[in-house]
Amino acid sequence: MDALVRNAWLVPFLPLLGGLIAAVGGKWFKQQSHLPVVLGIGLAFCVSLVLVASVGQTKVAPVPIEWLTISGLVVPIQFQADGLTTMMLAMVTFVATLVAIYASGYMAGDPGYPRFFAVVGLFVFSMTGLVLSANYLLTYLFWEGVGVCSYLLVGFWHSKPEAAAAAKKAFLVNRVGDVGFAIAIFWMWVTSPTHDLSYASFLGEGNLEHLKVAAPAALIGIPLLLFWAATAKSAQVPLYVWLPDAMEGPTPVSALIHAATMVTAGVYLVARSTPLMVMAPGVQLTVSAIGCITALLAASIALTQTDLKRVMAYSTVSQLGYMFMALGAGVKGVTEFAVIAGMFHLFTHAFFKALLFLSSGSVMHAMGGVIDMREFSGLRHRLPVTHWTFATGALALCGVPIFAGFWSKDEVLSSLMLAGKTANASEGSGWGWAYYLIYGVAILTAFMTAFYTGRAYFMTFWGPERLPDPTSAATHHGSTEPEAVHHSGGDAHGHSADHGHGHDSHFGHESPPSMTIPLRILAVCALLVGLIFGPSHLFEHHLKQTAQLEPTATEHAIEHSPDYVTMVGGTLAALLGIGLSYSLYFRPSPVPGRLAGQFRPLYLGSLHKFYVDEFYTWLLVRPTQVLGLTANFLDKYLVDGLVQGISWIPRLVGRHLLGPIQNGLIQYYAAVTALSVGALLLALFLLV
Amino acid sequence: MPNDFSFEMLTNYLLVGATLMALGMLGFLSRRNLIVMFLSAEMMLQGVALTLVGFGRYHGNWTGQVFTIVILTVAACEASIALALILILFNRRSSLDVSLWQEIREPGQPAIVEPESQAEPELAVAGPESYPHLLTAGIEPPHPTGAWSNRRD
Repeated sequence: MDALVRNAWLVPFLPLLGGLIAAVGGKWFKQQSHLPVVLGIGLAFCVSLVLVASVGQTKVAPVPIEWLTISGLVVPIQFQADGLTTMMLAMVTFVATLVAIYASGYMAGDPGYPRFFAVVGLFVFSMTGLVLSANYLLTYLFWEGVGVCSYLLVGFWHSKPEAAAAAKKAFLVNRVGDVGFAIAIFWMWVTSPTHDLSYASFLGEGNLEHLKVAAPAALIGIPLLLFWAATAKSAQVPLYVWLPDAMEGPTPVSALIHAATMVTAGVYLVARSTPLMVMAPGVQLTVSAIGCITALLAASIALTQTDLKRVMAYSTVSQLGYMFMALGAGVKGVTEFAVIAGMFHLFTHAFFKALLFLSSGSVMHAMGGVIDMREFSGLRHRLPVTHWTFATGALALCGVPIFAGFWSKDEVLSSLMLAGKTANASEGSGWGWAYYLIYGVAILTAFMTAFYTGRAYFMTFWGPERLPDPTSAATHHGSTEPEAVHHSGGDAHGHSADHGHGHDSHFGHESPPSMTIPLRILAVCALLVGLIFGPSHLFEHHLKQTAQLEPTATEHAIEHSPDYVTMVGGTLAALLGIGLSYSLYFRPSPVPGRLAGQFRPLYLGSLHKFYVDEFYTWLLVRPTQVLGLTANFLDKYLVDGLVQGISWIPRLVGRHLLGPIQNGLIQYYAAVTALSVGALLLALFLLV
Repeated sequence: MPNDFSFEMLTNYLLVGATLMALGMLGFLSRRNLIVMFLSAEMMLQGVALTLVGFGRYHGNWTGQVFTIVILTVAACEASIALALILILFNRRSSLDVSLWQEIREPGQPAIVEPESQAEPELAVAGPESYPHLLTAGIEPPHPTGAWSNRRD
């Protein structure tokens, strides 16, 4: 087992190698550049499966390469393979393999094909390294790595200004969170007596007890800062604004990065730091509350969006809110149940959200680059595979029983209920009512989720069959949204120039097998993965083999009897939402328009994303621009002026002061020579 | 040291030598004719030579005179080079005025010495038309058509 874990480095290394081959050999591979990357990620998936099977014996791989050794700080490149890590690895590499296969069909013909796959390889390297690393600083390194790859992939079509702006926005907002992560690491280093930043050491009992005595402020500050970093990476309030804009990137990117992997890095970080979080119940409540606010806000924005990918993006933000709700419910007594519930939701979400994104991409591919749902409808006969896979993903997202989302959402909700009960119990913190409130809002959000998902599904696949005009400017350039007030990429016209190449041949037809096979596989997963891993407690047992999630002595033995109330409540919310969307959108009807007219302020607010972007522009972007202009002015006139002034002196001295000495007359030169000799002799005579 | 060459006698030689040197320097610095400038430079060398010979006699060894011969050798070489240069410069401007060459400096500076002012007026040199006619036996020599200074332009 030791030997197996010692080869854990293969999991990040193989995709990296594939990506490097694609990058360097792109000129020769051209449209076959996907081969090394798909192969690399596929092999990494096999290795992760082996790691999953072998977890239990050794938790930390003894492969320390000394990365940093400054006095007082020793950071080895150390990988570990425990339950949490191996679960994430298997999920990430599986979804990444399928997305890479899908992308080989979706991106076919694109001139930047090799570059795309090179960055995908790099991304999978960073993500797997992130979950494999055994200390905080190494995690930070890979955290930045995924951020960079996200920037490169969202801005893949960099000549399109909206894509470039979206990539910049994603990176900058992530940076804001990374500052929190950095400060948390500094604080960790300062407060821990051994200055050891590894998980095993920092999150161990002894260190945390020491912190409780020596630096109680750190016990609140560090988890809060780690959550701030997770807020940026996993798109929670207030740093979620980059995720909807990141839909400017190609759809496989959205599926991989913004549904299944990168955005889960924040959830992973908080889950990994569970022992630390448990020591600060106030922070946990904050985590849960922000998750709740985010879920509600994102769901309410998704209700009115007309761009299918934007609906899915807000849905991702909302579901990430669910994960944080569960993580924040990990109060003492319920900790591992809640955290495992959150991670289970992450696990199932990866599958069905990637599926939803990929089938949206398939729709977009068939509609010639148009993704505005108002432009097409009734596609169920033209795109049968896309239709039933999208339906599977939608049912999973809504939380309909049997499908994957049902089991995980149910666990999230019941963990909230249990947290409320525990907090209200004798030695609890007394904040139980807050958890109950969050529980209620989560049920409401489940209803809204089902509604907007059903709306998207019915608007796209049912009703009379309409296709966008293949020769109009709308195709290949998207349609322009008349009410767009967006500064950062329009709602509906964001996907122009996606398919400037040879997709007319696919217009109106189902996608090629390279795209439909991953869809089918993911649909089967969305159906079965919850059923197989949830009620059988397989997932739970696997995840419990993590040092940070082991039941501690103070854990109460919670009797996890199936919480039928939550199950029924969640299912009811889902069915109500689907039913309402069916009645409104199954056939084209004037009712949604009338409803929008009746609740016009709410409708407009939701349509314009509650003006959060505009608020941030006014608050943060404009002052920074003013600062930039001022700095530019100072630089051009003050600093450059100073430098040019200094360069003016030699010219003055040379041309005007000393130049006239050389006047061309030989006798003048001779006179100067003679006088100099005289002066020299005089000086010698006087000094010597 | 020989006792028939006292220090006072040496001073006379040194004074003459210094006078030659000073006059040479004055001439070099103030004359505009290239050949006269060179002449003055040669005069400076002769002053130095006289000083050396005087010292040699004073100290009673041959060092002074030997080094004077070296100086004469150097002066000869220098004369050949200098006169070649003067010839080339004359060919360029048809004049021996050194102030014509003060353009070899930073561009844009005002002229230090106006070449046209203070120059010695160019006296017309009599040409071949003023030569005496020498009749060869029985054959009349051909008459030149223009002044001899027009041959070179």
